[in-house]
Order: sequence, then structure tokens, then C-alpha cells
Amino acid sequence: MTVSVTIDATGLVKRYGDVVAVDGVSLRIHQGEVYALLGLNGAGKTTTIRMLLGMIRPTGGTVSVLGNRIRPGAHAAWSRVGYLVETPAAYPELTVAENLRIAARLRGLRGGVREVITRLGLEPFADRRAGTLSLGNAQRLGLAKALVHRPDLLILDEPVNGLDPAGVAEIRDLLHDLSHEHGVTVLLSSHILTEVARLATRIGVIHQGHLVRELTREDLAAQARPRLCVTTRDITAGAQALRAAGFAPAENRDGALELVEQNAVHRPDEVATVLVEAGCAPVRLAVEQDDLETYFLRLVGDPR
Amino acid sequence: MRAAIWSELLKARRSRVPWVTVLAFTVAALVGGLFMFVLQDQRRARSLGLLGAKANLAGAEADWQTYFSFLAQTTAVGGMLVFGLVLTWTFGREFGQRTITDLLAIPTGRVAIVSAKFVVGGIWCLLLAAQIALLGLVIGLVLGLPGWSAAAAVAGLAKLFATAAMTFLLVTPVAFAASAGRGYLPGVGVIMSAIFLAQVVAALGYGHYFPWSVPALYSGLAGTERTPPGLVGFVLVAVVGLAGAAVTGVWWRNADHDR
Repeated sequence: MTVSVTIDATGLVKRYGDVVAVDGVSLRIHQGEVYALLGLNGAGKTTTIRMLLGMIRPTGGTVSVLGNRIRPGAHAAWSRVGYLVETPAAYPELTVAENLRIAARLRGLRGGVREVITRLGLEPFADRRAGTLSLGNAQRLGLAKALVHRPDLLILDEPVNGLDPAGVAEIRDLLHDLSHEHGVTVLLSSHILTEVARLATRIGVIHQGHLVRELTREDLAAQARPRLCVTTRDITAGAQALRAAGFAPAENRDGALELVEQNAVHRPDEVATVLVEAGCAPVRLAVEQDDLETYFLRLVGDPR
Repeated sequence: MRAAIWSELLKARRSRVPWVTVLAFTVAALVGGLFMFVLQDQRRARSLGLLGAKANLAGAEADWQTYFSFLAQTTAVGGMLVFGLVLTWTFGREFGQRTITDLLAIPTGRVAIVSAKFVVGGIWCLLLAAQIALLGLVIGLVLGLPGWSAAAAVAGLAKLFATAAMTFLLVTPVAFAASAGRGYLPGVGVIMSAIFLAQVVAALGYGHYFPWSVPALYSGLAGTERTPPGLVGFVLVAVVGLAGAAVTGVWWRNADHDR
């Protein structure tokens, strides 16, 4: 089975005078993928997203969305695309339902409003003016507008901004369901690394306008550098015992010994036995790995 | 474009701005009626305190022709302000409230949305002109103004609606200013500049060739002895109207919407 390319961006460049906001970014996102753009503030995520949506004309490069080349005045693709870019906005004097009715009508629909209200849990607020909504509910309304026409592609810039933990989990489940059950392709940007790690099937790390790395969820696991961290009361004696047993311990910044050998990571009980037999029993023994944040900061050269 | 017009109408209906414009044109018609009331009998007006003891309104008659002319002049000058505010609000609100992003990547094209905004703005301004005409008729009947004839009424109302149409055409650049300036203030700035320049240029005697002076001159604001604007003036009004609308559409379609 061939999987169709939903977003095909090649060599995207955006310059503002001497400032290069995006420099040669290429993306190929396939149907059903959840692709996350990860980057620091000002890295070029939103500019890239706006170029994909035809809101900003690239200085260089091309964009195709759902097989349609994006250029000024071309809007063939947009009936199948839902999006939420930056902070959600709504007409404050209109109710939630009226805001959604406008979003639906401009997409050529007459129905679907009640359904999306239910789906996003907005029933209690349907007849409330949008200007009175909390930030979290305004974010839900923004997502509801993006989903009202059941799009094949969702482009979401910081989709869980302003939501409480329950709302974050709810949106995560919704996006997971859309992607896995309905084959919807999702491109999202986020600075909440844990969310990206849980949701995305592929991650693009963008830094200073460059796409510095693309990795799948499996790649991320491989990049996680699993290691066994051991603490003993006498670190020197513990290191000697481990070396004598064929390991290569290295002391880390926290004063613990790190073992990266596969047999140590997979059989920590054997390491514990070695240390107990040498008379320096471990007081802490844990398999640790880099989280996405550590990996990201390592990748973009941030010394934190 | 029907969906875009529907949504613009809904947005306008839910706003207080239409009521503010209705109030402004109601006050204008009432002020015109007050002038007619004073002109009908200046001694009576003085005794009621409506006219200062030493004041004297000369050179005007309290009749239907004068009243229609006053309403047309009010539409020319007040319309620049009120019609301009209609378009400033219609376009500027999308930027001020950051809802513009929701209009940029949807099946309804940007030019259709811009066109719908102009259509709704045009209907809105037409209704304001109809309102001042209707109020004028009621106030004139209540005052019992002399000089009524069907021909005079048709001519007076035709001048009022023509003035309103020209004034609307002249505020289309306000839509561009509110869009490119991404908010209300640039639009307001253009309105104020146009009103100021229209006065200055007309005073210098070149008003016939300065589009923003044409509706006021056409409505007789400079006095009946002044020759009305010629074809060049009317063509320039049309050119400004079309150019303002076209530039706004082109800007929405092609500009970088990066905010």
C-alpha cells in the first residue's frame, strides 16, 4: 500500500530583509502521521506553519498540501485542512455556536456545529459569548473551528496552550483518536516536550530557521542513551569492583557511577550482585535515560 | 461569496457599531429639522431660547428644497466620518481581534471575503442614507415645510442618495488602510486626513478635481452660486472607489499575513 504525502515542502526559505526566519526547511509528512515541530521561541516554527498555510509567501521553495500547490489565490486544499495558528481568536460578541457557524459556513457547510461542540466539551458554553470564555475554553473553541469540517489534515500551533492538565489529556486523546481511527494527518508545534514525546510519530527539531534533525519515535528511544546509574557509599571501591567485573563505569556530575553496557542496563541485578560481593552494596540503582528535553537541548547546543 | 456575506451580516448584527451609526444619522436629521424650525420663525426660536438674541440666520428658507439640501450636505460631510468608520470597523476588527488568521486558509477565498465586507458595508451605508431620507420626510411633514412637490422630493432624494454613493466610494481606501495598518487607527487617520484635505482643497478652489471634495460640492455645501463638480470630478470619485476596493483585495490576497 502506498501512503500518500499530505504535506510536501521543499527548501522553504523566508527572509525579512537581512533576517532569515526560515532557511531551507524541507518537510514530507505522510497521511496519518502525527508530526511535531519542536523548537525554541523564534526558531521558525510559526513562520514555517504560516508558509504551509499560504499565509506567508516563501522567499524560496515550494509547498504542496494534499496534492495542491500552495500559492496566492489557490484555495483548493483548504476544504480538507483545519488549523489553529498561535493564540486562538473569536468574535467576542458572538456566541460560541455562532462563531462555529461562521467557521462552518465559510467552509461550505450548514451542519456539524452541534457535533463539534459535543466533541470538544463546549456544550455548557455554546450560547455564551466568546468574549467571556476562559483561555482554556477559548483554546477549545479554536480547536473546534479547526475540526468543524472534519479535515484530513490538522495543522496546530501550540494546541494545548492554556489548557489545564485534564484538558491537555483530553486533547491528546482527541488527536490520537483522529490520527489512529480516522487517518487524519496532524502537524503540530509545541514547546511542551513531554506532550510531543507522547503524541508524535515523528519529530522535526527546528533551530534558528533550520530543520536540524528529524527523528521517529523509535529514533528518539534510541537517542535516549539508556544507562545504569549506581550509587555506593564508597564510589572508588565500587568503581574498582565494577571494572574488575568487566564494566566501564564513569562518574557523573551527581557523583554516581554510570554504566552504558547493554548487559548492565538489561541486567542491573548482576551489577548489584558484583557490588554486594565486593562489600560495597549499592544504595541506589536505577536505569535512566535522556528525556526529549535533554536530547533537544543537546541537539541545539544549549548548555543547560 | 454568499456564505461570506451571511457571516459579515451576522457579525454586524451582533455588534453595537450599527446602532452608533444609526444614532449619528438620527442626530443629523434632527439637527436639520431644528434648523428648519428656527428658520420658519426666528422670533419664535429666539423666545424659546433656540437662537441667541442678536443672532440672525439669513440667506436660507425653511422649505423642502433647503431641507433636502441640508440632508445631502450632512451625508457628504458626516458620511465621510460615519461611512469611514463602518469600513474601518468592518476590516480593522479582523486585525484588532486577531480573527484574520481564521479567514486566510479556508475554501472561501480572501477576495470573496473582502468583496463581502464591501457589499455589507455598502448595504449598511445605503440603509443609513435611507434612514436619514425617511427621517427627513417625517420631520419635514411634522414641521409642515412649504414647497413640497413630487419632482422636488425626487430631485432632493436623488441628490442625497447620489451623495451617499459617492461618499461610500471615497471611503474604500479606508478599508485598505485598516487592513495594511492591521487595526482601526490607520483607518481613522485616513478618514480625518480626507475630511481635512477636502476642506482645504475646496477652500483653495480646486475642489472640483479633488475627489474627497466632490460630494460636498455636489450637495451644495459651498452655496448654490458655486458651479457643481463636472464629469472629471465624478470620474475621479469612481476611480478612487474602485482603486480602494481593488487594492484592498490585492493586499488581502498577496500580503504576508505574519501577525
